[in-house]
Amino acid sequence: MKRVLPLLAVLTFAGAAFGAAEIGQPAPGFTATDINGQTHKLSDYQGKIVVLESYNLDCPFCANHFKTGAMQELQNEVTSAGGIWLLVNSVNPKHPSHRSTEAAKKEWAAQKMKATAWLDDSSGVIGKAYGMRTTPHLFVIDKNGILVYQGAIDNQATPDHDPRKARNYVREAFQKLQAGEKPVVMQTKSYGCSVKYAE
Amino acid sequence: MQRILTILAAGVLAFAAGAANAAHTQTRLVLSATAARPGDTIMAGLELRMEPGWHTYWKNPGASGMATKIAWQLPPGVTAGEIQWPLPDKLPEADLTTYVYQGEVMLLVPLKLAPDLKPGALELKAKASWLECEQICVPGSANLTARIVIGSDTKPSPEAALIASWQTKLPKPADGLSARAWWEQAASGDLRPLILEWTAPAASKEADFFPAASDTFEVQPVFEIVSAESGLLRIRKMVKKFEGGWPKEISGVLVQQAGGERQGFAVILPVGNAPTGARQQSLWLMLFYAFVGGLILNIMPCVLPVIALKILGFVAQSKEEPRQVRKLGLIYAGGVLVSFLVLAGIVIGLKTAGHKAGWGMQFGSPVFVVCLTALVTLVALNLFGVFEINLGGRVMNAAGGLASRHGAAGAFFNGVLATVLATPCTAPFLGTALGFAFAETPLIVVLMFLTIGAGLTAPYVVLSWQPAWLKFLPQPGAWMEKFKIAMGFPMLATAVWLFLLAAGNLDKSRTLWFGLFLVALGLAAWIWGEFAQRGTKHRGLAMAVSILFAGGIGACAFCQTPDQIAWQSWSPAAVAQARAASRPVFVDFTADWCVTCQVNKRTSIEIPSVRAKLKEINAVALLGDYTRLPDSLTDELSRFGRAGVPLVLVYPKAAGEPPMVLPAVLTPGVVLEALEKAAR
Repeated sequence: MKRVLPLLAVLTFAGAAFGAAEIGQPAPGFTATDINGQTHKLSDYQGKIVVLESYNLDCPFCANHFKTGAMQELQNEVTSAGGIWLLVNSVNPKHPSHRSTEAAKKEWAAQKMKATAWLDDSSGVIGKAYGMRTTPHLFVIDKNGILVYQGAIDNQATPDHDPRKARNYVREAFQKLQAGEKPVVMQTKSYGCSVKYAE
Repeated sequence: MQRILTILAAGVLAFAAGAANAAHTQTRLVLSATAARPGDTIMAGLELRMEPGWHTYWKNPGASGMATKIAWQLPPGVTAGEIQWPLPDKLPEADLTTYVYQGEVMLLVPLKLAPDLKPGALELKAKASWLECEQICVPGSANLTARIVIGSDTKPSPEAALIASWQTKLPKPADGLSARAWWEQAASGDLRPLILEWTAPAASKEADFFPAASDTFEVQPVFEIVSAESGLLRIRKMVKKFEGGWPKEISGVLVQQAGGERQGFAVILPVGNAPTGARQQSLWLMLFYAFVGGLILNIMPCVLPVIALKILGFVAQSKEEPRQVRKLGLIYAGGVLVSFLVLAGIVIGLKTAGHKAGWGMQFGSPVFVVCLTALVTLVALNLFGVFEINLGGRVMNAAGGLASRHGAAGAFFNGVLATVLATPCTAPFLGTALGFAFAETPLIVVLMFLTIGAGLTAPYVVLSWQPAWLKFLPQPGAWMEKFKIAMGFPMLATAVWLFLLAAGNLDKSRTLWFGLFLVALGLAAWIWGEFAQRGTKHRGLAMAVSILFAGGIGACAFCQTPDQIAWQSWSPAAVAQARAASRPVFVDFTADWCVTCQVNKRTSIEIPSVRAKLKEINAVALLGDYTRLPDSLTDELSRFGRAGVPLVLVYPKAAGEPPMVLPAVLTPGVVLEALEKAAR
């Protein structure tokens, strides 16, 4: 049995190492530090709707949502209604798109972010636990900590469409949750650039 | 007139193809012809040349990226078809696979010229847009122009050969491949295994499937080649569903390696259930294989001793009681067939319950393997004459046993035994037949199993009706006793092999106890045979002693408390994972040869209070096995200034806090205190 157990453990971990977040299941817990040095723990946000956004502004797909201001509008809709919006930046420190804390603070101000916080996930732990495949890749967690949406931000997988004219799945999910209902679309194929995880 | 037109056409020299540069990708629009007639279809090519390290994407970009797009601005009468995509490269990056072009590629688009197109020069414009990625991704786009003269002539362009060479890299039609797809199993959650099968050249060993993109589901990049009949390639792919029902149709490109070159075949396949009807004609062949396979099982080392014993029985009985021999032959056959029916029932039951069923799957059950090892050991001892088996027959003794009459129950039991022993020995032929049977309907499963059983019993039944055929055997005599003992050795070898299997499921101390149990069983069998069966005095006492002895050691071996800490294998990722989930982590770096570690484990780790504490604080217990000195552990130990084990670490629940390093010699108090702290 002893020989079988480690093998099982390895297999379980190989699975858990990437893409463990499942719709209808409790979202993987995490503790992370934001660019201002504050600690955020998912379990502290029980009772609130949480949106996770895998983020890298150098990726044209992300840039399209920010330069048009559409993402900030959506962030504002969520945070002003009492929701939590966490940017998860999993770009590894050796990558040219990695941001130092100072650069991140500047980018936050320049983009007029309306999110709750920008989490430093340069180790990729959160990204991998959730199976964040692209930037952007969005996750919506309900007030009970259950993952209710994962996938694309909207239904236009291009870096140059008008986000305001697309069907935004995150807005839909958030509004449904606000109304006490389940989102209609709970899972889509995310689109964008690869996340640039550490090897 | 025609000549004048030709001259006119040739006179138009403005065929220069449009070209444009983005940051890292150069593009060019080329046409297969400089001049064409109305009604023709010409081929346009969008050439993309990527700098080294950069790539652009296929029509299904995969986990990230974006397919290259072409937006045409064409004069009336010219219509563009769909992009034809050469076979891409599969690029596995971390866990995210994409389908890309590296170096250069030409995307091909057929342009249809209307039959009523007026002669003259035409300008064909296109805007190409793409995503180019290396370490970072950059969107690129280019406005491209190409010209063609419509007239009464068709003239290939200088790029026609280049276009033709790219056409050879397009996936070919899959005609003649008899490609099929079916769901291997019912879905579990959002995932469902899909089998793709096609006929492939003998040389092709590698196979894959590049799926077309879909919004509602994804055919995942990982694949497995599964065994198939010769001439067929069969691969398993996992399909993940995002929303809606399971797809009824799968489209994409079958990829195979032949003669050092990758070939693609475009397919759109309806997804059915596991195939049955198409292979009716080969059912007979499979049944034939099953029969021959069953026949061959008779001479496999696991079965041979049992069968040889039976033949010995014949030799002894054939002359005196031909009728009795026939009757026993049929009862033996009945025992085999009933056992095979039971096996078929189990397979069908498991299949309907959604489990995977395989030949010899019962060997996955530790209890079964342990029991079988004991049984085979006893059979070997029986062959050695240590004790006798007298199921329903007269009591035998060493001298008269072989001559004695075998009872009906004995014959039936022999049939069951032969089947049980046969399962680990998948004879040649049987593999194919069983692989076929397990994918089939219950009726065919039963039919196949019964045919194997028939093959297994055939020699015995035939010989029992025609004992004359046994003439080649020497006269019954003392050689039979020697032969019987010799047959005990292959049986013993089978027992050794089963012991190894059983040990795989047991820890070290239990393996030792299991071995001792087998020895005790042998001793008990001897006491039983020598004193209870052949002895004259104290037979009851001998029985009691042997049963108590075997039972007592057995209890020691198997009734130890199985409660254990739920260890998982140590890795930096496992630690990070657990800490990310805000769970305390208990790490034990240990080795089998490290005495201190073993003492620590007995006294202070694998004890009820620590087990309870670990559960209470929801800690993750990670075991780093340093027995074979893996490098990853050596590095980790040196990080904590240790040259070796033991090293026990306790990571607090709060992320970012350093782990506590426990002393080399542990007491329960030390461990419990550290765990208590970690939970705060």
